Amino acid sequence: MTPRLGSTPLPRLLHPAAWWAWGVGLAVAASQTTNPLLLALVVAVAAWVVLERREVGATNPLVPFLLVGLFAIGLRVVMVGLLGGGVTGRVVLFRLPEVPLPAWTSGVRIGGAVTLEGLLAALYEGLRLAAILACLGAVNALASPRRLLRYVPATLYEVGTAVVVALTFAPQMVDDAARVRAARRLRGHTGRGLREIGRLAVPVLVGGLERSLDLAASMEARGYGRVVRRSAASTRFAAGLTLVGLLGVVVGLYGLLDATSPAVLGLPMLVVGVLCAGAALVVGARRDPRTRYRRDPWAGPEWLVSLSGLVPAVVLTAGAVLSWPGLVPHQVPAGLPPVPLGMVAAIAVAALPAVAAPVPPLLARSREAAA
Amino acid sequence: MSASRGVRAGAMGLVMVVGVVAFTWPFLVTPGSELSQLGHSGDASLLFVLLMALLGLVLLSEMSSGHLDAKGVAVLGVLAAAGGALRVLSAGTAGLEPMFFLLVVAGRALGASKGFLLGALALLASAFLTAGIGPWTPFQMLCCGWVAMGAGLLPRSSGWTERLVLAVYGLVSGMVYGAVMNLWFWPFMGGTAPVGAGFVPDAGAAANLHSYAVFYVLTSLAWDLPRGLLTAALVLVAAGPMLRALRRSLRQARFDAPVRFATPS
Repeated sequence: MTPRLGSTPLPRLLHPAAWWAWGVGLAVAASQTTNPLLLALVVAVAAWVVLERREVGATNPLVPFLLVGLFAIGLRVVMVGLLGGGVTGRVVLFRLPEVPLPAWTSGVRIGGAVTLEGLLAALYEGLRLAAILACLGAVNALASPRRLLRYVPATLYEVGTAVVVALTFAPQMVDDAARVRAARRLRGHTGRGLREIGRLAVPVLVGGLERSLDLAASMEARGYGRVVRRSAASTRFAAGLTLVGLLGVVVGLYGLLDATSPAVLGLPMLVVGVLCAGAALVVGARRDPRTRYRRDPWAGPEWLVSLSGLVPAVVLTAGAVLSWPGLVPHQVPAGLPPVPLGMVAAIAVAALPAVAAPVPPLLARSREAAA
Repeated sequence: MSASRGVRAGAMGLVMVVGVVAFTWPFLVTPGSELSQLGHSGDASLLFVLLMALLGLVLLSEMSSGHLDAKGVAVLGVLAAAGGALRVLSAGTAGLEPMFFLLVVAGRALGASKGFLLGALALLASAFLTAGIGPWTPFQMLCCGWVAMGAGLLPRSSGWTERLVLAVYGLVSGMVYGAVMNLWFWPFMGGTAPVGAGFVPDAGAAANLHSYAVFYVLTSLAWDLPRGLLTAALVLVAAGPMLRALRRSLRQARFDAPVRFATPS
């Protein structure tokens, strides 16, 4: 099962869950630090892997996600400049004219001194959000969430089917809306305004619902959406496990919220509850007799990709718990952020898929044609 | 059957309690508790994101598994498609989301529990369509589900009173949705929230409520008010024919009418 690092594996699509584990791991790592150098490295790793391993023709949500991230950084910096922030520094860059406010707004100020430290803190926090967004954009580009839908646990079968129906019908409804609008414009209506939206909605919705009844009839005829009969004992077991898990979560949350409760009621109880609730999903899925058509294999490359995302998450979370230097740089007084080499190496591990993961088939073919 | 229904109702209630806590914990936390220590570093937000992702799956499976037939799946799927398409079309217009109109009207026609499923699925479908899955998705699903569920729980009425009630509900829910949705990331903003409008873990509920109110008015009201007004206006103009069409189609979707044999007299 060990991945062959020396030779690149044969071109194929990776299991989508592996990419999602990688991306979520990298996003968790980014959420633990405000060091701008580490965050920039996270963004660079995510972008490089997307450049190397995105399938030809797949949508690229990384670019809009990066733009939203830039917008978030700008918004935070402007807000801290205008409204002040939690970090008050000594180096005053310039002073904005201050607006006098009534007394009930206690604590709010508009304008006033803008400090270097405050702006840097806003920049770092914004950069953290942008890095998390970049990880999510990368994952959405590498493995479309639609492919993940095939792997929902069987207890979520009905919901998964409903979402697949929704994804198939949505483009048709947009077409329908365009057709109805064109028809109304041919009859001399403008096709604009609130009243027109109402006139448009009814025929589109009725058409869609009629089609849904046809779909239901054909699904029924082919045996989809059958209610699976489970034995009473297994249903009772799964339901009991769910209830116990949820009760554990509620009690654990109470323990976390209340300072006077014993420590056992807090995080340990929450973890037990979460494990029970998760186990109930898995147990329900195990008992389900439905089979799946052509499942993706989970082999060496999948292990490599998912583990390479988990390494930075584990290392940086441990660093946050043990408060290693360099993870959260000092902000007052402002200075150059340090470069913690261990954490840089941990994040660099997440770049491994860019060379070691299998190339998607269409991309491999286009590269061969170009070579 | 009634026992399993009891279990399902219990599980749904518990998940909703966790969901409410996941949004409102900044006001519930007592100074010195474990969560207030986590709140200093932003880890509390991470904890709730992971928790909500798992519990969202549990809730969906409890609400659907075993009692949603092909017709239910198809009707929910098509309505969710309409919601997703509306959200895709309105992407980029700040706050003007006509999806809420669909949620209010369809939630009214479907009733509370199916309405909740529709809200959650419509949001999920739109997230898939725009490739915008992220930590916000479970929170948005829960909130949209609540919006549609609330419309189903409104008191029974008909004609113009129903339309007026729904319009007022649309206005309120459009604004409350924004107020509730800000809560999931507000504690995560930490030191970069404006002075007097940030989350302070040890400050107590009253102070945090005040600073959240300031934060809401400063940042979010300008987006939420147009959404509420648009929803209310659309409901006033178009809810009547939409409700009629929906109810007619839903009645058609009940094919398996109970068969009764009457003894010949």
